[in-house]
Amino acid sequence: MEDIHEIRKRRRTLQETMNFMAALSAGIEPILGRGANSMTMSAGRNLGRKFSENATKTDDLLAAVDEVRRVLEENHCLWFFEPFKPKNQPEMIMVNDKGEREMQIVFKDCMIRQSLFRFGHPQQGSLCNMMYGFFAGALENIMGKKAKLDIKHAGENACLKVLTVAS
Amino acid sequence: MLEMEIRDKACRGCRFCVDICPTDALAFDDETQKAVIKEVEDCIECLSCGFICPSGAIAHKNHHVVKNFYRNLYFSRRMEKFL
Ligand code: SF4
Ligand code: SF4
Repeated sequence: MEDIHEIRKRRRTLQETMNFMAALSAGIEPILGRGANSMTMSAGRNLGRKFSENATKTDDLLAAVDEVRRVLEENHCLWFFEPFKPKNQPEMIMVNDKGEREMQIVFKDCMIRQSLFRFGHPQQGSLCNMMYGFFAGALENIMGKKAKLDIKHAGENACLKVLTVAS
Repeated sequence: MLEMEIRDKACRGCRFCVDICPTDALAFDDETQKAVIKEVEDCIECLSCGFICPSGAIAHKNHHVVKNFYRNLYFSRRMEKFL
């Protein structure tokens, strides 16, 4: 088993990098304007595709979300999320009027949120978009279908997002 | 399991919590003019209602608290120069 101190050291380095990136992204947003979000989203998407190159392919949305989790864990990314079914919604996965599958996901532990809060940066900026890009990119690779993740709510202790997968 | 409470004596009826809740877990009682818990199972523990409430009337218990990861004050001090 890997030495716990080594793991801690690597995670700390990762968190420091995240803090640094939060500062960088806060710096580029005023300069690039809205373009900053699409640029980081696209970068995240490419990274998600790359990280999930060897992931198991599936058409089952819940299994695909689990596979994204595995890919993240394998790459030492701490991002705790779980599917969410509102009480009065009959199924976890719903089909919207365009025939696309939709699912709500709650993101709890998030390196990005904590990095942003640490320096008082707002949520839903370019760094959040990079992570959503990452998630969508990895899921696209796993399912072979276009996917997107929209922020429904960016909260202090959890964020709620809607994952949409093309039919 | 998550427990949630709105202290009705403290609530001043501003509806901020109802408006911010992303899952409609809260509702507003027109009769009492106070916020009430509609569906605790729908609470995603974002704590936004608690943060926004001007009277500190909302309390959550047994909820997941986000990890602050590996706070490193030395690194933060170095970073502050750039911010
Ligand atoms: S935010 Fe606080 S004071 Fe305002 S309605 Fe909700 S519980 Fe009451
Ligand atoms: S913690 Fe979030 S989801 Fe739960 S009741 Fe408050 S605003 Fe709604």
